[in-house]
Amino acid sequence: MSFLAPLLLGMAAAVAVPLLIHLWRRRIGTRVDFPAARYLARAEQEHSRKLRLRNLLLMLLRVAAVLFVVIAAARPVARVAGGAHAPTAMAIVLDNSLSTSVIIDGEPVLARLRAAALEILDRAEPTDRLWLLTPDGRTWGGSVQALRQAIDQLEPLGGAADPRGAVARAAGLARGAGFDASQIVVLTDGQATTWTEPVAIGDIPALVYAPAETAPVNRAVVGAVANPVRWTPRGAVDALVLSPDSVTYRITLEGRTLARGTAVGGGESGISPVQVRAAPPERGWIAGTVEIEPDELRADDVRHFAVRIGAPPRVSVHAAAGPFVRSAVDALTAADRLVKGGEIAIVPADALERLPAFILPPSDPVRLGAANRALERAGVPWRFGPLRTGAATARGGDLDGTNVNRRWELHATRPSTDDTVAVIGREPWIVAGDRYVILGSSVDPGSSALPVRASFVPWLFEMVSQRLTGEPHLVVEAHPGDSLRRPPWADALETPAGERVSLTGAAMRAPPRTGVYFLLRGSARSGAIVVNAEPDESRLARLSDDALRARLGGRTTRVIRTDEPWEGQVFTSTDRRSLLVPFLLAGCLAMLLETMVAGSAGRIARRGTT
Amino acid sequence: MDSARAPRADLFDPASLAALGHIEIVARWIVDGFITGLHRSPRRGFSVEFAEHRPYQFGDDLRYVDWKIAARADRWVVKQFEEETNLRATIVLDVSRSMAWSGAATRLTKLAYAERLTAALALLLIRQRDAVGLVRYDDQVRTSIPPRARTQHWRRIIAALDDAGAGKASRAPDALERAARLVIRRGMVVLISDLLMDVSDVERAVRSLTAAGHNVTVLHIMDPAERELGMSGEAVFVDPESGLSVPATVAEVRTAYRATVEAAIGEWRATLAAAGAGYEVISTDAPFGVPLRRAFAARQDLP
Repeated sequence: MSFLAPLLLGMAAAVAVPLLIHLWRRRIGTRVDFPAARYLARAEQEHSRKLRLRNLLLMLLRVAAVLFVVIAAARPVARVAGGAHAPTAMAIVLDNSLSTSVIIDGEPVLARLRAAALEILDRAEPTDRLWLLTPDGRTWGGSVQALRQAIDQLEPLGGAADPRGAVARAAGLARGAGFDASQIVVLTDGQATTWTEPVAIGDIPALVYAPAETAPVNRAVVGAVANPVRWTPRGAVDALVLSPDSVTYRITLEGRTLARGTAVGGGESGISPVQVRAAPPERGWIAGTVEIEPDELRADDVRHFAVRIGAPPRVSVHAAAGPFVRSAVDALTAADRLVKGGEIAIVPADALERLPAFILPPSDPVRLGAANRALERAGVPWRFGPLRTGAATARGGDLDGTNVNRRWELHATRPSTDDTVAVIGREPWIVAGDRYVILGSSVDPGSSALPVRASFVPWLFEMVSQRLTGEPHLVVEAHPGDSLRRPPWADALETPAGERVSLTGAAMRAPPRTGVYFLLRGSARSGAIVVNAEPDESRLARLSDDALRARLGGRTTRVIRTDEPWEGQVFTSTDRRSLLVPFLLAGCLAMLLETMVAGSAGRIARRGTT
Repeated sequence: MDSARAPRADLFDPASLAALGHIEIVARWIVDGFITGLHRSPRRGFSVEFAEHRPYQFGDDLRYVDWKIAARADRWVVKQFEEETNLRATIVLDVSRSMAWSGAATRLTKLAYAERLTAALALLLIRQRDAVGLVRYDDQVRTSIPPRARTQHWRRIIAALDDAGAGKASRAPDALERAARLVIRRGMVVLISDLLMDVSDVERAVRSLTAAGHNVTVLHIMDPAERELGMSGEAVFVDPESGLSVPATVAEVRTAYRATVEAAIGEWRATLAAAGAGYEVISTDAPFGVPLRRAFAARQDLP
């Protein structure tokens, strides 16, 4: 209890008046002759005990009356239990991440979290300030009705999103509201992989509600990619299956079953790899899935991937390219990876006529000028520099450690975004750009060890098939809601439902639903954003109370489980109310009682004499 | 002035009446008024001797109307008779210090009231040819006048009222014993006192008197302030006789005091009734007719 006018409490000294009257009442100076004094003495003797009690009671009532009035004058205010709670800034973080869609006891965990949120809203008063936050960055504020509607419409996310960020934002909102009372309520499944690090919420009291059920055994597809991204048309699907035991899987392309099998499962990490090779008849950008049998958490039983399937590139080899290149192309042709034709040329620079082309150094040093002119005519932003000799080692991808003895310096003629595939020291050795790859050394053992390396043929195939096919083939792996850079050539997204969504700006956000979203260049599919849940979201292990408390605020945080009532857990700050009227009433009551007791003396006396 | 319409002194305010004259005169007025107010002849069933006429008053018994005078003079008078009795009465008057007290300046002290009452009662009895004596006492018997029926004897009683008194105690038993000795035959004893004494002492004395065949009437004189504690504030209340001092806040003890006084009166009434004595509480603001009627009624019960 506190006082709005505490100085007035000084008037409490007035209680000395009835005290002094009570203590000094027998110090009487007036003497009166009264022959019937014997009756007076007898009256006092017979009723002295009652009189003393009555006088004491009167004194106490008078003191109480004075005190109550003085306290009322000081305008007391206090938090009163049992009344409405104090206006509270309440931020509710509702964890609707993918893992909350797991079904336990016949209903999703999210349904219980949603019910808890509604129960909290039932306890809200119009004077409260309320927010609802979800891990995907959305925030609702306003009336209880608006929040109730938002909760009813909430669906599980496709991934983990950012629950910790939501809690941090909730703390900021609650703190910034300027209310005396504030609170954060985090409704979560308490997944260990979600709450990996502490969240700083300051001194805002937090309440964590995490249903106490132990997590069920979960099986999930935690990885699925096409390898390579461009199948010609051969390729492979690499998948990772999380399962403590064996589980059957199915791989689909555009809904058609491509393969079925059984993942062994188990192992220390519980993850088993799956690889399926195929040469499907489909062509173009295709969406595929890796699926396992449904379990309690359905959302991670399917994982998406995208693949570009095309015919083998048609390649022509210039006579001056050398025997190693011809042999490699022959081998790839024999394996149906390449086809002889004029689509892509493997040619010395001085013989370059068009792109796409795998460009080799000039066949004769005296042809350097012709080579650079040909590059310029073809629009390639590079030129050959002086010939450098001497042992050097190349670095870059599969070519790391390749010994190089002779090479031509490569000079860029204009700034470009081209890739540097391999370098020697700080100088580029192999560069690649739009429909061209330039190699700084001739393909012979005297210039470099490249042609004699085992990786030469696959590397050459990758260069030809992945970089010189004349179209971009970007696949972006993302999680729901991730921030992404928009490829400059991408005009729009094609959703799994076939809708076209235009893209603008340099940045974009990954869609909230899992699936394959194709990047459109004009009207043609030229790449894909593959949205899948975070693999960790499939690990459903829960945190203990102490761990949750440590992650979410520390000492001001309470963790409750299913069976604990909400009463006394939320909106716990009671309102500060004026106690002026109660104290005034108490003072009046004391005075009324004083009057009654004073008037009751006669009745007491009469009872005493009968 | 027509005596039938004259104001009756026995119904006057005692203090106002006392201010009008000496006790002797006042006593006469009281008795005259009292006799005038008697509705019935004092004698019934005894041989009586005609004494005088008096004007008829409403309520008088028609048996005593003198029809001859009414027929002759067209004036209605009633005949009054004198007893032929020899009742011996003794008035025992408490003159202790406690009696010389009044709760208000406008009221008579208990003693002044009692003296006027004594004078009136004595006169009334003497007019009935009764013998009247007087015993005054405080801590000792101050005056002892044997009963006589002569009119001059009343003057002696009046004179004795001025004798010394105001002692610091009330020894009523001694006074009653003295009265018993003064009244040899069966007679009447009227004790006029504020009864600020022990009940048991008085009871024994009264029982002795009633056992001897005397009619005993006790007139308990009280000032209204003694009965109601009609004062205010805080004070030390001191008994002028015993010196007993009681500090008290009047407002706090008033009700208890009243209850105590009523209990004491009840005790006196019960004790004296058990002893065969009459008892009446007389307030000093009551007209003298009230106690006079009470005492006279007791007289009428005697032969």
